[in-house]
Amino acid sequence: MERSGLPFVTGIVHEHITMDSFEDEEQGQGGSDEWLDVDDDPSKPFLRPVRIYGSRLARDKDVIAFEERAEEREWDIDDHKIEVLELQSRYDTDLHWGLSEKQVLKNRKHYGENFLQPPPKPSAFLKFFRAVIGGLNALLWGSAFLSFLSYGAQYIYTDRISNDNLVLGCALIVVVHISGAFSFYQEFKSSRIMESFKTMVPRSCVVFREGSRAEIDVKELVVGDLVEINYGDLVPADIRILECQNFTVDNSALTGEAEPQKRLSVCTDDNPMETKNLAFFSTNAVQGTAKGVVIRVGNKTLMGRLAKLACGLDSGPSPIAVEMNKFIMIMTIRSLVFGGVFFGLALAIGFSLIDSIFFLIGIVVANVPEGLAVTFTTILSVTAKRMAKNHCLVKHLHAVEALGSTSCICSDKTGTLTQNVMSVAHLFFNSAVALADTSEFVTGQQFDMQDPGFAALANVAALCSRANFRPGQEDIPVLKRTVEGDASETAILKFMELQMGNVSRYRVNFPKLCEIPFNSTNKYQVSIHDMSKTSDPRHLLVIKGAPERVINLCTTILNGNEELLIDARQKEIFNSTYVGLAKLGERVLGFADCRLPLDRFPLGYKFSSEDPDYLDIGFRFVGLISMIDPPRASVPDAVSKCRSAGIRLVMVTGDHPVTAKAIARAVNILSEGNETIEERAERLGCTVEEINPTTIKAAVVSGAELKLLSASQLRNLLRNHTEIVFARTSPEQKYIIVDAFQKLGYIVAATGDGVNDSPALKKADVGVSMGIAGTEVSKETADIILMDDNFSSIVTGIEEGRLIFDNLKKLIAYNMADNIAEMYSVWLFMVLRIPLPMGTIAMLLTVLGTDVLPAISIAYEKAEADIMKLRPRNPKKQTLVTPQLLSYTYGQTAVLECTAGFFAYFLTYAQSGWLPGDLIGIEKKWHSRSVNDLVDSYGQEWSYEARSQLGLTSQTAFFVAIVLTQFANVICCKTRRVSLFQKGMRNKKMNAALIFALALVGALVYVPNLNASVNLTVLRPEVWLAPLPFAFFLIIYDEIRKFIVRNFPKTVVGNHLDT
Amino acid sequence: MGTEAEPQSKVNNNPIYPKKPIEENTWGDFIWNSRTGQVFGRTGTSWAKIFIFYVVFYAGLAAFAGLCYYLFSLTLRLDQPKWILGDSIIGTNPGVGFRPMPDQEENSGSSLIWYRRENEADAAVWYNQLANYTDAIENPEEVDSLQTCSYDNGLRATEIKSCFVDTKQFGTCNKNNAFGYRSGEPCFLIKLNRIFGWEPEPFGLNKRGQYDPDLLLEDLDRQKNLPDSLRKYITDGVKSNIDPSKFLDTIWISCTGENVNDKETLGPVNYWPRPGIPGYFFPYYKQLGYQSPFIFVQFLKPLTSVLINIECRAWAKNIIYDKIDRLGSVHFELMID
Repeated sequence: MERSGLPFVTGIVHEHITMDSFEDEEQGQGGSDEWLDVDDDPSKPFLRPVRIYGSRLARDKDVIAFEERAEEREWDIDDHKIEVLELQSRYDTDLHWGLSEKQVLKNRKHYGENFLQPPPKPSAFLKFFRAVIGGLNALLWGSAFLSFLSYGAQYIYTDRISNDNLVLGCALIVVVHISGAFSFYQEFKSSRIMESFKTMVPRSCVVFREGSRAEIDVKELVVGDLVEINYGDLVPADIRILECQNFTVDNSALTGEAEPQKRLSVCTDDNPMETKNLAFFSTNAVQGTAKGVVIRVGNKTLMGRLAKLACGLDSGPSPIAVEMNKFIMIMTIRSLVFGGVFFGLALAIGFSLIDSIFFLIGIVVANVPEGLAVTFTTILSVTAKRMAKNHCLVKHLHAVEALGSTSCICSDKTGTLTQNVMSVAHLFFNSAVALADTSEFVTGQQFDMQDPGFAALANVAALCSRANFRPGQEDIPVLKRTVEGDASETAILKFMELQMGNVSRYRVNFPKLCEIPFNSTNKYQVSIHDMSKTSDPRHLLVIKGAPERVINLCTTILNGNEELLIDARQKEIFNSTYVGLAKLGERVLGFADCRLPLDRFPLGYKFSSEDPDYLDIGFRFVGLISMIDPPRASVPDAVSKCRSAGIRLVMVTGDHPVTAKAIARAVNILSEGNETIEERAERLGCTVEEINPTTIKAAVVSGAELKLLSASQLRNLLRNHTEIVFARTSPEQKYIIVDAFQKLGYIVAATGDGVNDSPALKKADVGVSMGIAGTEVSKETADIILMDDNFSSIVTGIEEGRLIFDNLKKLIAYNMADNIAEMYSVWLFMVLRIPLPMGTIAMLLTVLGTDVLPAISIAYEKAEADIMKLRPRNPKKQTLVTPQLLSYTYGQTAVLECTAGFFAYFLTYAQSGWLPGDLIGIEKKWHSRSVNDLVDSYGQEWSYEARSQLGLTSQTAFFVAIVLTQFANVICCKTRRVSLFQKGMRNKKMNAALIFALALVGALVYVPNLNASVNLTVLRPEVWLAPLPFAFFLIIYDEIRKFIVRNFPKTVVGNHLDT
Repeated sequence: MGTEAEPQSKVNNNPIYPKKPIEENTWGDFIWNSRTGQVFGRTGTSWAKIFIFYVVFYAGLAAFAGLCYYLFSLTLRLDQPKWILGDSIIGTNPGVGFRPMPDQEENSGSSLIWYRRENEADAAVWYNQLANYTDAIENPEEVDSLQTCSYDNGLRATEIKSCFVDTKQFGTCNKNNAFGYRSGEPCFLIKLNRIFGWEPEPFGLNKRGQYDPDLLLEDLDRQKNLPDSLRKYITDGVKSNIDPSKFLDTIWISCTGENVNDKETLGPVNYWPRPGIPGYFFPYYKQLGYQSPFIFVQFLKPLTSVLINIECRAWAKNIIYDKIDRLGSVHFELMID
């Protein structure tokens, strides 16, 4: 328990990372936002009075378009304003009798049916089709086409029919289908998990038709229907309330307001969103009953409108898709350039046109990493699976990486950062404020029941309550039990249950004699208890309510054992505490008690609740209890992790600014010591205009204020404040905020659970919804779903996402190396005119066979540095495929592998009698069937058959050399910068993959018939040793490279070697 | 409750982050950026450093590969291949070679000997090839390690000595006769591939090299498709020779049309000097100046304007024939217009 001596000190005790340390890091990384788009000049000060509505002209086109579209659907409704009778005639209904059956049909025809038209989903076939042709697969389709073309040309123009190109083309088509099916399956599986989540839309509702009450399916409901809603029901459509008792709805899913909203039968606001006489489709009635008339159904409801708004948005390609497109672009250009150069060279050397075209196609195809599409998808799936284990369900594979690139998170508050449950946050007793533990895992007592001050407060809190646990929940942890009663009573009951053990048993000792229930005029609640079982038989009166009301009924205040008279000083302490707690966004209740004098109220006295004669006695004020929807316990930690990962956190909520700010402070979105301009002004006692705005880094902006900002002003706001809370924002504004961040170059993740969040979720690069509390619409639009509703799961997601970016780089370095080595072998084959070093099938066997498992095992590589301490990647500079990476693969690893291959190749030839010098220029004769007596270096004459056998053997040697050096390569690829010796070989999956790949290559070489079918043949065991020196060379070289990268990162070479 | 401030106060007008000039990098700038002096995104010195890195890297790699190859070459011998006979991929089954041969650079994979009889230049291509071949045999560069071997003098190839090929024994297949090409009776040189250390196992000889009539019949019967003419030649030869074991120490050669049609169109075949290569030329041990033994086959009346498929086969106990893999045989086509 924590108590502060001062009357009011916010005792929020979460660990903070200070802005100082954060900024240091920023400087270390070379300025914070240097890479962000600076498309409008913030140095140009805009004139102060910005209440120019024309400033909308400055908004971006698509934002305007969005707004216009929003306006098209704008809720220009006046159903809440008009007279009831007018409403009655508008919908041809009778507000007592209900609709007639005939009118029901008529209205249904006219206004539509009451169900949400789900957005048209692409069919499974279409999705599969997209997966098969999209991304890297497009590249493979291209090369498959070229292969068939080459085969066809060969078939027509020459008599040398080799099936290689046909096999290649078919293999490519198989590969695109496999990788397409893989990603399709992964997303299909995720959507299946989604299906199981389908929350219950209200199934049935009570309706009055033709004067009688009936229970009908919600789908049957039409505009004009008269409905009755009881607490616990979901509101079946948008409803104008005609009469109600204590009717309260939970709008949090729709508007983000954490607190249940009272509903009345009178119009309180022109804005349909704000008025109290409307209840919205799919919101939850938490208290009371109401009768109303249906004014909108199905897609025309507020909920339906938002859902539709979200579907119409396009979030554009994911960051990884952008990277892949760049990669495809690079590969295509490179293929064509290499192909073109060698086409010219071939012609210059004197090859025929048709042969040169074959070379061109061969090189273009060899340059395409056939295996990458499969391994790429698999690595994403593997990570997605791992994230699912950590409660992050990935709906679209690409979102896996997107989370890692995220540089800004726009988080909703209610239900995401907070528990969406009211909970006791602070207590005021003994003239001091005490902090209560609001985490969702509290199980025991927090305060000392022996403390007389607390004991008195606890006594009042326990007795002055109408809330009760539903019976039969003894085994359930207190905080998880269901309570009958409103949110604040529930919070207090649970708190007291934890403090006192069994509250209901405690209450039995003090039977309630009389009670004045809470009402909005009194704003307090009183009960009188029989104390005859105690030593002091005087009746006990307990009261709780609005603190200012309660204190006015009091004459003394309890402080420890003393009762002090309420004087000016006490009043002042009370006031500052009350205001202070209210400023924290907490709902504050005052508590007082009084022993009724036996002379006035003898035992057995009949107390009246209608005509209370006991309120003037002068009560004893015992304290305050304040409640809030508290942040989840793990959130502050997650926030600080995001911070240290260089990710901006912005709260965007529909809730009130005060509550929003309080929660933002509590979870550190507004960090300690970082004042908003209002706070600074208040502290210094001056007006906001006097504050130098450049010193202010934090801001709380309400939706109303946001409306007045132009696009460039908004961008300046986002740029110039590091910590921002947006409160009272509409769904459109959430969208605009996300859009503005994206315009600044941020990769934005948006989290939210409500329907109101869904446009923002859709617009964001990664939309994150909540699995348990999230509405169907938000889950539909999200890319990632946090299954445990825990914001901190996002941190795991970010970590995985960052890791996967590194791992994808490694994957590309690994997968391309042998591809390119094989391409080089084609070049040398062409230029040196030596017997073929590597056949097409062998190439496919490496990239689609032996490479695959080690490549996938890269997904299991752990991070080599603390990736959560780095800034998010700069999408402009830290691309997936950098020039350095290309230089590394094309210039270093591939050359080395190719050298190893040729070493094994020449070694095989030399052992059989062909010294390297004698092979050069021999290609035509070598591959000619009619030459049956080709002379080797030792004068032996080789028949065609013997030569083919030797050729196969050396091709096998080349193949084995590539495979073995690829093993070394994947070991090198385990780290990008850290030494291998530091990292070790602890990736068990990779070790297993290497063993499997070794077994595979062994089988391919030695299993009879299998080897013949893939154009390989048996090798002498010692040939396997030939590539090993090169494998070691590669590992040692790579260690040196990493050493240079680590120690001389700023030098030209050091930078160039840093892939 | 919190006080709501004027909206405009929220906006901090002064920039916290200095504005950086936006560099519009075009493709032109990428190739040559005059502002920074960058070519393809790097300055000259930067490129030079990268270049030096790559020079060092490739030099290191080349040196390493060179070292590996040097160490490996220490395991090789100059006088014989590392692997021979059954250990080597070349195996123990020699192929058969023929001359003249179409130019593989221009006509890769072709084994068609085509010429117009009237066209001197056409024929010259072929017979000049044969002439060059026989000229090289007639004028060996190395004579010390060569000896004149015959069945009669009993000289054979040894590890250091090998036998002359006598070019005078080929009758009309000679340079002066243009190897019969002008006259439409073209000669083809048929030889057996050299395989280091390979020795024939002729028909009818037992392991000690003695004639065994039963064995001969057995051996001959075992051969499928042995041309009757060759069989007759062998059996007749055994009868007419005093020492059949010497006569039989031969790798027999036969050339026929590949199928029935070809056999008809090919017409009679003459073997110079006889349809076989004496065994004393073997084994080949990379003797200095080793001359591959050969015979000439002459097609006396090949039909003109018809493509004739010809297959020549070598016959011995340890020569295995396979039509598809063309083991122990060779295929070529002849067409005279």
